Amino acid sequence: MENLAATSTAGVLLALSGVLILLLAFACLASKLFNRYVAYYGAQSVVLSFAAATAAVAFHSAELWILAALTLAVKGIAIPVAARRLLVRRLALKRDAAMSTGLSTSLIAGGALTAFAYLVIRPALLPHGTVAAAVVPLSTAVILLGSLSMVVRRHTVAQLIGWLIVENGVFLGAITLVATFPFIVEAGIFLDIVAGVLIMVVFVSGLTRQLAEASAAELRELRG
Amino acid sequence: MTALAILAALSPLAGPAAAIADARARLAGIAQAAGAAIALGCSLALLVMLDGRAPLFAWDGFLYVDSLGGFFLMTVAGVTLLAAVGSIGYIAAQEDSGELGRFQVRLYFTFFGLFASLMLAALETGNLGLLFVLVEASTLASAALVGLEGRARSLEAAWKYVIISSLGVTIALAGTLFLFYSGSALHLGSNLGLTWPYLLAHATALAPQALRLAFLLAVVGYGTKVGLAPMHTWLPDAHAEAPSPASAMLSAALLNTGMYAIIRFLAIAQARLGHTYPRAVLLSFGFASIVIGALFMVRRGNFKRLFAYSSVEHMGIIAVALGFGGVLGLYGALLQTLNHALAKAVLFLSSGDVSLRYQTREAAQVSGLLAAVPVTGGALLLASFAVLGSPPFGLFLSELTIVRAGFASASPVFPLLLLALLGLAFVAFARSTAGMVTGRPPGRLASPYRDRAAVAVTAAPLVLGLAALLVLGLWVPAGLDTILRHSVAVIGL
Repeated sequence: MENLAATSTAGVLLALSGVLILLLAFACLASKLFNRYVAYYGAQSVVLSFAAATAAVAFHSAELWILAALTLAVKGIAIPVAARRLLVRRLALKRDAAMSTGLSTSLIAGGALTAFAYLVIRPALLPHGTVAAAVVPLSTAVILLGSLSMVVRRHTVAQLIGWLIVENGVFLGAITLVATFPFIVEAGIFLDIVAGVLIMVVFVSGLTRQLAEASAAELRELRG
Repeated sequence: MTALAILAALSPLAGPAAAIADARARLAGIAQAAGAAIALGCSLALLVMLDGRAPLFAWDGFLYVDSLGGFFLMTVAGVTLLAAVGSIGYIAAQEDSGELGRFQVRLYFTFFGLFASLMLAALETGNLGLLFVLVEASTLASAALVGLEGRARSLEAAWKYVIISSLGVTIALAGTLFLFYSGSALHLGSNLGLTWPYLLAHATALAPQALRLAFLLAVVGYGTKVGLAPMHTWLPDAHAEAPSPASAMLSAALLNTGMYAIIRFLAIAQARLGHTYPRAVLLSFGFASIVIGALFMVRRGNFKRLFAYSSVEHMGIIAVALGFGGVLGLYGALLQTLNHALAKAVLFLSSGDVSLRYQTREAAQVSGLLAAVPVTGGALLLASFAVLGSPPFGLFLSELTIVRAGFASASPVFPLLLLALLGLAFVAFARSTAGMVTGRPPGRLASPYRDRAAVAVTAAPLVLGLAALLVLGLWVPAGLDTILRHSVAVIGL
């Protein structure tokens, strides 16, 4: 996989998807509405499944085709729909106010992290002119941006989306670095993500309900 | 042998099976303990059969057990047995008092067995990708245990745990990817190429720069599960909020599983990069953890948090020992792993009894334990001494070995610093526990247990664990010595 030239059609398409995925991570970092977080994550996953399909064509790999389909079904459709139904709509989440820095600050930090990803990954690690050299810095930047949005945002749903973006970044790196990842392992990673999202949804709903009860109790006490 | 290994990983599922069949706490606990006993028996049998012979290797390396894996299997299975026996009394008492509902009891045993089984499976795979999958899955299973009590605080602790650990383990996955990438020259086309023994055997063909990054990411990622500072922030909350037998599992089994993953990466990194780089990484994280652990123990408060910070400190000691390296360092690190697991299991299980009887988790509100509940009080006192590394318990021996390894390998500054920090930790820890054990109990305490059998079954793991610690402090039995030497040989020098 690592020998795929950056100038081949597949290479150009993979690099393009990488750039789109990074832009969507930035878009998520820059938005303040829960609906948008979920929408940008879903769009990112769709682009990711396109990237996996591109790799599948380039390498005539049936396993990569299955992975592309799984990505589209699970990350592109199932998780965003579930997040919208179970979290955003049921808990009536609209604007995310719990941020520890302003949007502009976090965007500047995101830009710095992207530059950092290029500085660390580019020079010595990957041979020049391969698609991995073009995409791996992008995927590293996506991982860092996802982590940043987990750090900057205090709301549990926003943190959950941040983790999923990190996961997408790792997956993008995986399909360009080692296309030969065993299928059992990939399937296991998918299973982990689904189980993780489920258990996190349970905690988020439980926490939100507890907090709502707590604030209601405060109101009763203050009534005087 | 293959059948034995599979049985070892699957037998803890006896507990979940009983729970799903709607058994009450006591019955489910007994099933869980029986499953854990079978797992322990299987791992011991595996160790006897391995004894220096070729490791078990099946299914393209998806199943792989060598002496090192066998040693960790034994440790984790042993801890699972102690915690499962401890669960019988603890969960039944909570069920009787109505603090845990019927559904919560079933949830507890379902995830307890799943958690144990996933950890044992993680120790039995040679495929580093599958190792990640199983470690992440064990995180999710244990998160349910942390949030079991369902109060705002425990849910928050569970959230913090699951989100920080998942992020950490995802970083470890990135490290695994870079490790595979560093082997591009090997054309790792098959499943076989992604296994630990294959990569170790072909370590000289790995690209050093990518391997360096891979090792660092793996230490940070799996170090999050181990609780190495500064990635330890989930650990005190999770340990404090989980039911006490589950805290014992977290501290004495989960942290070791994370450390096992780091050791696998360390072996490959050492074979290619030499000692300087891995040593620098492990010593920095190790000393940071010891300092953080010792400093936070100074504050008095929740005694389960105190034990949790002591775990951070001990994981730091193990990382430092791995950093010192050499036969002594690695031998000491493994012995310390076993000793710490036993001592911490006893401490957390006795803390469960204390919190049931005193209805508090604050150290300041507990006094006169030795007079009120002699067995638990005695166990808490002795296990505290053990965990602080005083003779005649096992940790004295292993910490002595580690300090000797330090003098033999690195500059004498490091072992001297280690000794000073151990002294600080001793004072900080003993200050809290001494107050709990001595003095006069606050009035008559009602027994939370149904009958004498429940009291006996609660005391059993404490006595068992302490007896094992005492034996390990007096001498290292010949069989264990052989296992440790073989494990050190597996890691390589």
